[in-house]
Amino acid sequence: MDSVRSRDATAPPSAPVPVKIVVAGGFAVGKTTTVTSISDIAPLTTEAEMTSASVGVDDVDIAGDKTTTTVAMDFGCVTVDHSLKLYLFGTPGQSRFGFMWDDLTRGALGALVVVDSTRVGECFPAVDYFEQIRLPFVVGVNAFHGRLAHDLREVRWALAIDDTVPVVAFDARDRLSVRDALLAVLDQALARATGGDR
Amino acid sequence: MRLPGDEDLGNGSARIRPFLATSPSGPVPPAEPEPSTAPRPFVLTSGRVQADIGLETQVTVCPNAPGRLARLSREQLAILAICAQPVCVAEIAARLHLHLGVAKILVSDLSAAGCLVVHTEAIGPIDIDTIRRVIHGLRALA
Repeated sequence: MDSVRSRDATAPPSAPVPVKIVVAGGFAVGKTTTVTSISDIAPLTTEAEMTSASVGVDDVDIAGDKTTTTVAMDFGCVTVDHSLKLYLFGTPGQSRFGFMWDDLTRGALGALVVVDSTRVGECFPAVDYFEQIRLPFVVGVNAFHGRLAHDLREVRWALAIDDTVPVVAFDARDRLSVRDALLAVLDQALARATGGDR
Repeated sequence: MRLPGDEDLGNGSARIRPFLATSPSGPVPPAEPEPSTAPRPFVLTSGRVQADIGLETQVTVCPNAPGRLARLSREQLAILAICAQPVCVAEIAARLHLHLGVAKILVSDLSAAGCLVVHTEAIGPIDIDTIRRVIHGLRALA
């Protein structure tokens, strides 16, 4: 009497709903560290798209204490609950990787733009892009060694971003600090979804 | 396709941003790598480069996968082996050291062959409830 049900086992098992936040920024600003700090799984790295030019060129260990490196794209995952997974995609912010950004940002909740306050200019391509596609984003200034070379007001001025875009300081090495930066992104996403912004 | 970066500056769509003094000792991106002699990744996909699957899309082995596994490639069998539990396409690429674009196409083929379930039904428009659940979940992290 159970034969009909067992025959009908073709119904796919339910899978968690995946959502994603993009972690963008310039070269060696702490994107990989940010993803590593909060991810449930050991962050994974993958090559992104079909160009040999993007393989290995973001990979260097000369930036102070940056010893782990980013090749093309890395990602981590936070299991929110049994039916919801938050993916974090760390993407190199250089404009030569622009071809993969559409794929990365499609369906994203928002983005965290990681900034090294000594090299603010490196995040300009990411900020330009998120403004253009109107993806909610937050600028997270990574406090290397707990210090900022420029205060948040100066960074905001340098970026010339809209007043509604939060600029926050965070420590990419600290799990709760990264969590708070992501919560700021989600607040932006919620404001946008509820029509509270633009 | 929109491309961020310098090429945007001429068309008025991007702002000219002021410039903060930068440290002269910033990291320098390394030189371009030596060209590889390995087969180009898209040999595995017979040259195809497009598959419309999101990076975060969840994939599982189909419970009633047809018994034609002998005809699958080594890479396709490896994909089936790690998809007993839901994994996303980007994770498949990373764990199997496959190019992301290659992984997407192989997953798409396996889905068409009835071996994999691609859970596109789990992807809807971002709704307020989902955002609130993520916020709630993150706040609970310690």
